[in-house]
Amino acid sequence: MWWGGRGQSFNIAPQKEEPEMGCVQRTGMLEPRSRQLDGHVASGCLPGEQILAWAPGVRKGLEPELPGTLICTNLRVTFQPCGWQRSQETPLSSEYDFALVNIGRLEAVSGLSRVQLLRPGSPLKFIPEEILIHGRDFRLLRVAFEAGGLEPQAFQVTMAIVQARAQNSQVQQYAGIPLSKAGQSSGSRKPPVPLLETSEDWEAERKKQGARGWRVSTVNERFDIATSLPRYFWVPKRTLDSEVRRAFGHFHQGRGPRLSWHHPGGSDLLRCGGFYTASDPNKEDIRAVESMLQAGHSDVVLVDTVDELPSLADVQLAHLRLRALCLPDSSAAEEKWLSALEGTRWLDYVRSCLRKASDISVLVTSRVRSVVLQERGDRDFNGLLSSLVQLLSVPEARTLLGFQSLVQREWVAAGHPFLTRLGVTGASEEAPVFLLFLDCVWQLLQQFPAEFEFSEFFLLALHDSARVPDTLTFLRDTPWERGKQGGQFNSYTQIYNPGYCQPPAGNSVNSQLSVWDWDLRYNSEQILQFHNPGYDPEHCPDSWLPRQQPSFMVPGPPSSVWLFSRGALTPLNQLCPWRDNPSLLAVSSRWLPRAAISSESLADQEWGLPSHWGACPLPPGLLLPGYLGPQIRLWRRCYLRGRPEVQKGLSAPTISGLQDELSHLQELLRKWTPRISPEDHSKKRDPNTILNPAEITVFFMGMAEGGPE
Amino acid sequence: MRRVLPEWSLSLKANLRPTDPPAASGGGVVSGCGFPTPWARARSGRGERCQRRSRMRASPGPQRPWGWAEPQPPVLVAAAAAGARAAASAPARRCFLGRRYAGERGSRRWRRHQGAQALLRVVRAPRGEQLLCEASTVLKYVQEDSCQRGIYGKLVCTDFKIAFLGDDDSALDNDETQFKNKVIGENDITLHCVDQIYGVFDEKKKTLFGQLKKYPEKLIIHCKDLRVFHFCLRYTKEEEVKRIVSGIIHHTQAPKLLKRLFLFSYAAAAQNHAATDPRNHTVMFDTLKDWCWELERTKGSVKYKAVSVNEGYKVCERLPAYFVVPTPLPEEDLSRFQGHGIPLWCWSCHNGCALLKMSALPKKEQDDGLSQMQKSFLDGIYKTIHRPPYEIVKTEDLSSNFLSLQDIQTAYSKFKQLFLIDNSTEFWDTDIKWFSLLESSSWLDIIRRCLKKAIEITECLEAQNVNVLLLEENASDLCCLVSSLVQVMMDPHCRTRIGFQSLVQKEWIMGGHSFLDRCNHLRQSDKEEVPVFLLFLDCVWQLVHQHPPAFDFTETYLTVLSDSLYIPIFSTFFFNSPHQKDNVGRESQDTQSKPLNLLTVWDWSVQFEPKAQMLLKNPLYVEKPKLDKGQRKGTRFKHQRQLSLPLTQSKSSPKRGFFREETDHLIKNLLGKRISKLINSSDELHDNFREFYDSWHSKPTDYHGLLLPHIEGPEIKVWAQRYLRWIPEAQILGGGRAATVSKLLEMMEEVERLQEKIDARPHGQGALLAEAPLLLRGSARLSALFPFALLQRHPSKPVLPTSGWKALGDEEDLAKREDEFVDLGDV
Repeated sequence: MWWGGRGQSFNIAPQKEEPEMGCVQRTGMLEPRSRQLDGHVASGCLPGEQILAWAPGVRKGLEPELPGTLICTNLRVTFQPCGWQRSQETPLSSEYDFALVNIGRLEAVSGLSRVQLLRPGSPLKFIPEEILIHGRDFRLLRVAFEAGGLEPQAFQVTMAIVQARAQNSQVQQYAGIPLSKAGQSSGSRKPPVPLLETSEDWEAERKKQGARGWRVSTVNERFDIATSLPRYFWVPKRTLDSEVRRAFGHFHQGRGPRLSWHHPGGSDLLRCGGFYTASDPNKEDIRAVESMLQAGHSDVVLVDTVDELPSLADVQLAHLRLRALCLPDSSAAEEKWLSALEGTRWLDYVRSCLRKASDISVLVTSRVRSVVLQERGDRDFNGLLSSLVQLLSVPEARTLLGFQSLVQREWVAAGHPFLTRLGVTGASEEAPVFLLFLDCVWQLLQQFPAEFEFSEFFLLALHDSARVPDTLTFLRDTPWERGKQGGQFNSYTQIYNPGYCQPPAGNSVNSQLSVWDWDLRYNSEQILQFHNPGYDPEHCPDSWLPRQQPSFMVPGPPSSVWLFSRGALTPLNQLCPWRDNPSLLAVSSRWLPRAAISSESLADQEWGLPSHWGACPLPPGLLLPGYLGPQIRLWRRCYLRGRPEVQKGLSAPTISGLQDELSHLQELLRKWTPRISPEDHSKKRDPNTILNPAEITVFFMGMAEGGPE
Repeated sequence: MRRVLPEWSLSLKANLRPTDPPAASGGGVVSGCGFPTPWARARSGRGERCQRRSRMRASPGPQRPWGWAEPQPPVLVAAAAAGARAAASAPARRCFLGRRYAGERGSRRWRRHQGAQALLRVVRAPRGEQLLCEASTVLKYVQEDSCQRGIYGKLVCTDFKIAFLGDDDSALDNDETQFKNKVIGENDITLHCVDQIYGVFDEKKKTLFGQLKKYPEKLIIHCKDLRVFHFCLRYTKEEEVKRIVSGIIHHTQAPKLLKRLFLFSYAAAAQNHAATDPRNHTVMFDTLKDWCWELERTKGSVKYKAVSVNEGYKVCERLPAYFVVPTPLPEEDLSRFQGHGIPLWCWSCHNGCALLKMSALPKKEQDDGLSQMQKSFLDGIYKTIHRPPYEIVKTEDLSSNFLSLQDIQTAYSKFKQLFLIDNSTEFWDTDIKWFSLLESSSWLDIIRRCLKKAIEITECLEAQNVNVLLLEENASDLCCLVSSLVQVMMDPHCRTRIGFQSLVQKEWIMGGHSFLDRCNHLRQSDKEEVPVFLLFLDCVWQLVHQHPPAFDFTETYLTVLSDSLYIPIFSTFFFNSPHQKDNVGRESQDTQSKPLNLLTVWDWSVQFEPKAQMLLKNPLYVEKPKLDKGQRKGTRFKHQRQLSLPLTQSKSSPKRGFFREETDHLIKNLLGKRISKLINSSDELHDNFREFYDSWHSKPTDYHGLLLPHIEGPEIKVWAQRYLRWIPEAQILGGGRAATVSKLLEMMEEVERLQEKIDARPHGQGALLAEAPLLLRGSARLSALFPFALLQRHPSKPVLPTSGWKALGDEEDLAKREDEFVDLGDV
């Protein structure tokens, strides 16, 4: 039966574990608890974690109210419901955990007065009756303290949180997660997400994509071209490593053009940083750069990534405004809600990202060409756009595994500075681009409920994980730092033997764990909810992939070069800015006005698709998202988690309800099988009737692995 | 100016033969070359097909004045069927229509009439329809994804509708005709559905009304169901333009007489038509029995009685022939003020509290004696209803501190402008400010206020055990709205389709909501036009959207119901009161005594094929679990779903009366009126409301019990299916609700199959459900606006503007480029 998403991230009824036991505990242990902590509370701590203060309290705001203990440690603030034990199965379970850096606002309530803490010079002058912890991930924890001689503890714990938060400006990683568990989990992971830390991973991924004209380059194995680049990346087969090295030097921060993704239809999506205009390349360098951008295609489109997209500061401001709007006591009146929402401009940014991604996916699918995403830093919106384009273009990216490896490749390995962008370091360049990306994906999920294997809950889990300092995935700015921490290159002698990767010793145990080890944080019931019950794999037939083009590499200079900017293509005379006009790209996109979209001019400029698409104009597998005002929506389950009144009954129970019913019926049938004739039995095993999500996953992964080479 | 054309138009050109003058044949799609604007475009495949057809058409000879003069292949699929039907009922029609021209047989007019009949047969017109004027070689703009093209055809105006008969119609594939309205086609606009007519004179858009001096080159018609039609008259003969434009303006905008409604000619013509069961199990509330049945159902018969004082409308023409009043109310009181000031029963709650409504007494300041009389009368009435067993009554005056009709009117007229879009440029312009525009229309806020008021009243009935009396000037606008909303929220029966239809019959039709004025069907006064019923449907939609499993019907049902408001073959929404319906119907039939056979909208088979009707039904609606086993068997034949899971967590009705306490009752009886006054103080009201609302929402929902909507800011939404369905930019291929629904239906089918296996006995039940996925499965990618946007599906394609084409070079280069095009498709 349905319980609605009561402000929690999952649709799982908050079960009272062992109700009788809990009751006994509550009455019997109230007295001792007031003096010392239960053993099991302390046992939930991670190695190196110290409990600073604690107080018994009641979690409020959601139904049912849970009695428990509020604990402040040097790493996090956590609420432990009474009788609840941190399970060994999921050592990092984080439903009520707030990493110290995640605390965005702290409020203490006494009677009618409400004081906001965490501000310099705002000492707590009263004993709080209730404390509200607002997470920067939109979560809210409301704990009311019990009266009866325990008030000093309430005061202590509040002050402890304030102090710990103030001291803890730098992120502290949870260390020492029991490795036994970790090893076990990674062993049981069925198809592991490729972490792309070895060249084998890259090679396998390249084969999977069928990018025949490309090879894995080991030129950055020592991170001497760029620390923000992964150790391995894909370059055109014909390009020599020396050419790569030479060409990359002329790009901002050494981030030269690399293959990001090979479209099954033959197009290539590349990403690179801005041209380093101060450099003075010689002829050969220019030729190397050009051939890498061209990637063997006769048609090259340079996409000015930042054009029409918000700046990093815009994103940050919008996110702050959105967070302010979504606070439970937000001042926006109900009838003014919509314009307040519009005023945050967050949805506007989501929309422009979707729009641009949809344009680029048309560019990629409509012809065989090389599409180059160019952003100055190549670490933010390039990743966002390239991942969105892949999600829109191929069904494989929409599976659970496919999406995880997509994020791993385009964000983690490509060197998105998570630490800086999520504001963990306190640096000024905070801008939650990754969260913007998750919102875009959520919009797609809303618009195409049958096309994605993962569900909203998976996105939520990913959203929350970005703020939990437990694995290295989101805790480092560059692959270099991540590798350093993980102890991957203790000795440089290893580089000549890439096949041999020595497992690091037990000194830094988490290094092996990634955010994709979901079973560390979520129990099996929750992980089951990562699957979208409405996913319809029949929608993506596997046979549509066209053959590889026989004449793949076209020698000679590109016959047409375009700049895609302001939603339109403009011809360029040359690919590189250095020949005649030193800063063509830097200037050109800025003064190009957005083509007025009147129907007349549109019809005039219409970009024809191949005529033989005829009656079914869209290539199967390509999704074109809606990005009109009415179609972009607020991710309520995420952003309005702090307002339980808005959360109730969020999604219709229907599909999951039916799913339950189906499995119930199948279970019944299974029990009855002995009585049923053999033909009936075989009918039951018909692949069509397998609707169990887990089975679908297995089925699907099998397909993905055995897919086209 | 020289234009460089994209590839496909080159191929189109190649297919064009010089002997094919695009406009001459009057058929097919015209390529862009001859026109100053490039909207007339087609994808090459389609273009080819059309070219072929136009060649075929053109072969018999030069221009023909009318297609119908010669034997012609039926334009529409159902034409043959329509013809057969027409033949069967031919005598009937002749006596109605033929009579008029009988004297002038052979004359020009008669021939014309015959021709019109033949045309109407092709148009699949309802019986009794007359052709008024027509124009040929009209170009209808088809907007699809920012590129425009045109279809040639005839524009006709009959006394029922404006119709465009394109020559491209037969291109529809099967899939798309399945959810076709049988009465109104894709290119049909009933005269009552026309909202505004604009003309374009030299690129300037002007509203058209009255007598015209100059005739426009382009006609834009905005419909009340938010469709927008563009007709280009530039290639039409001048006299035809004059005739059609003035005809359309006259017939849609001039005030009309009630008896001239198409309803009557249709009913007269369809007299011999064997009526399918018109009641469709919907309780019509036009007999005393129906009211008694309703009283029994809600267990209100203890305190209330159905009266037949108004039989033949002797007492009052505003009230229905039968209604329900408190038992002790003396009958002579009923006739005192023509039905004003009488508490009329709407519905009884499970705890015995009732919802009543009363129309206010007319205010006459100058007459002291009269007002004195009124006062004493009212006091008497209040005394009667305040006496036990009625306990206390709370009066809710809807005409003073609630919405005004004016508010609703202005809000809706602002709101609908957001969706009545002439071209995509306009859409993109407004898109950036979408939320603030939406908010400034305050339509959503009005919905919120209505829902809030309904929750307040629900709280009084459910939690406080207080009777509620709704007061309004005529008790026929907001009273209907609020009382039916309360019933939808409190009475699960009203959430079934039959129950909902009965509710509309009871509260709106019999409640005397003046549909004729509120929809401005007769074009008599624009001021009276207020979309109250639409507001109600929108409020119900919010509930349906928030709690889909609680309703037997879908949002599609609500959408087609809202469309039916403007189809003048159903009597349901075309009268101001039941009295008017009974009387005018009789009047218009001058001599014959036989009452007219008026259709009701609840007979959905008139509009939709059974397959299409399936989309009106919510497959997920779970029937209320019945304890009685015998009953359960019976209900299974109703094609309603029952959960196969044990309903462990949901108790029979956890929300019922969780507020009630035994002492409550006593205290209220003791304090009586004083409390009721106290309750009226707004602060307490607000607190009560908040508490009631919050505590309901914190409990798990019982879909067969009380149902409250969410009314927070982010929760009130735009009814996308109704308002956005005609905007091609708003559709998402392979996405939206349609995708979920098709998945759901598939799973439902699966469940059915398994259930059948478990039951191990054959069921006839699976048949109906099994068909549903077929309807949806036809194409892998449905539009999100399904079932309405199907017709715009095929041409949609990604469009990417390039400013570079002009600089690119000549066409040869393009052609070369096309050769190297790598084939993606035929692998």
